Amino acid sequence: MTPSAIVVDDVTKRYGSKSGGVLALDHVRLSIPAGTVFGLLGPNGAGKTTLIKVLTGISPMTGGHATVAGFDVTTQSLLVRARIGWVAAEVILDDDFTARENLWLQAKLQSLKEWEPRADLLLKYFELDQRANDKVSGFSTGMRKKLEIALALLHQPEVIFMDEPTIGLDVNTRRMLWDIVTGVHKEFGVTVLLTTHYIEEAEALCDRVGIIDHGRIIAEGTPGELKARVRADIVRLETVEPLDAERIRALPEVQEVRTEGNEWSIRVASASTFLPTLLGSIRTDSIRRITIEGPSLETVFLDLTGRRIGQDEPMRDVRKFYAQMRQVRG
Amino acid sequence: MISQFTGLYVREILRTFRNPFVLVITIVQPFMWLAFFGSSFANAPPAFLEAFIGTNSYIAFLLPGTLSTSMLSVGMFGSMSTIQDKRFGFMKRILITPTSKGVIFLSKALGGATRGLVQFPIMIAAALVFGVHFHLSPLEWVAWIAGLFSLSVGFASLFLAVTASSTDWQTPGVVSNFITMPLMFASTALFNGAYFPSWMLAISAVNPITFSALLGRSFVLGTAVPWINLLYLVAFAIALLLVGFAVSSRWLRVD
Repeated sequence: MTPSAIVVDDVTKRYGSKSGGVLALDHVRLSIPAGTVFGLLGPNGAGKTTLIKVLTGISPMTGGHATVAGFDVTTQSLLVRARIGWVAAEVILDDDFTARENLWLQAKLQSLKEWEPRADLLLKYFELDQRANDKVSGFSTGMRKKLEIALALLHQPEVIFMDEPTIGLDVNTRRMLWDIVTGVHKEFGVTVLLTTHYIEEAEALCDRVGIIDHGRIIAEGTPGELKARVRADIVRLETVEPLDAERIRALPEVQEVRTEGNEWSIRVASASTFLPTLLGSIRTDSIRRITIEGPSLETVFLDLTGRRIGQDEPMRDVRKFYAQMRQVRG
Repeated sequence: MISQFTGLYVREILRTFRNPFVLVITIVQPFMWLAFFGSSFANAPPAFLEAFIGTNSYIAFLLPGTLSTSMLSVGMFGSMSTIQDKRFGFMKRILITPTSKGVIFLSKALGGATRGLVQFPIMIAAALVFGVHFHLSPLEWVAWIAGLFSLSVGFASLFLAVTASSTDWQTPGVVSNFITMPLMFASTALFNGAYFPSWMLAISAVNPITFSALLGRSFVLGTAVPWINLLYLVAFAIALLLVGFAVSSRWLRVD
């Protein structure tokens, strides 16, 4: 049996007072096998970054127990921190330093003596060797991300934490980083705990995925295992006029119907057999758009929470606000 | 621990010298102090100056005091550097390594204090330009620098302790405004304390800036050296270093 690189046992984290405040982690339990890429998938504010803060010793847990690389996060924090690497959501480097100097500083912080051969290897691996003596303030975002990953790998950590590593990046840079994460995992054999709210990122990179919402792990498994739980398609329907919900619910194969205005989300056993029935039971000219979603981590999340990842995000509220404003203006 | 301290200490020093703006201000500021403030008694009768400050050169009188008060700004810059690291996330990068908060504090306090001493040779050069002559023995030069370094370490520790849990850019400035004025004027850095009211004399009697200014002034003016002042300044540095270490170990946070 593969040993666990990370064990999280009944961990809670509360910000603010005991009676009030915010419960950011709610009795989280996880066991992440060594050598895997584990994705923590959830919407903003779900508790992903808080869990990383707790596991890296940045923030003390309120309750529970956790080990990383075999050491207790609370009582053996320095031993844990000697065995982990960290890649931040926002790139954090010393802009006054060159790439090599950033690596030098990281080596000093990790008390490494023979760091230069390893640094040279990493600079070459990440194709930064030609710019090693340039100040990083002149680097592109992709180069900065690469250097940050090189810093995280310098001391040969057992576990790397990547906190939303591709947030805010353009599509090309994101794809490049996916290749890097996959390559790093294979080449250096480290365990990776990666947080993300991008479904496609979790599906592309992770051996196992934990879905987190409101500080709780609500499902965990391989992407295939999680998708197998749903065993359903989601038919999304946008209509020009209201439909009779009861009539839709009464159709064969329908498992669940959710509606918001003229937008419908219908969970069915099989979209291919349901669609002819649907089209035969409503006026087709009342349909503006139909989309079909097969089982995905998005539908898993939808199935578990009744919401989409990102549904609670402010951008959606802003869109709603402008839509309401347009309606008011007539 | 030594490795982490060395890395962070060197980073503090290098960052100063790689910022041209900071470098220019560091060089220009002492000249401006001596030029503007030091010249305020330029046309005063020598007899008046002899009676008022014990020498006919106000710049020679002012130099040790100016050097002492400039160590106050060292504390503020050390504190701002810490807040910058917190706000830009670099403090997290440091803390996710086997580096203790106490080591971070020591590197900031001692790095800031060392950075503050950069003004020393510049001020001496400026004073030479303004006609001050120095007749110090090597031991006296070392003692003067040691006194200023101790003062600087003390103030840097004080600022870092007060702002340990803060991430607000404004905090160091507010703290600086709050403590700089009373410490600067309730000392003999700028004026002779003989004409102070009793309550200001009481503050001046324990004010480390007074101890540093009097020590330096004795070297510049060639009067009897109050060596006890150096001991006081070293004790001040050690005490605040211990307080700052304890406070930072407990309260330095990025969460």
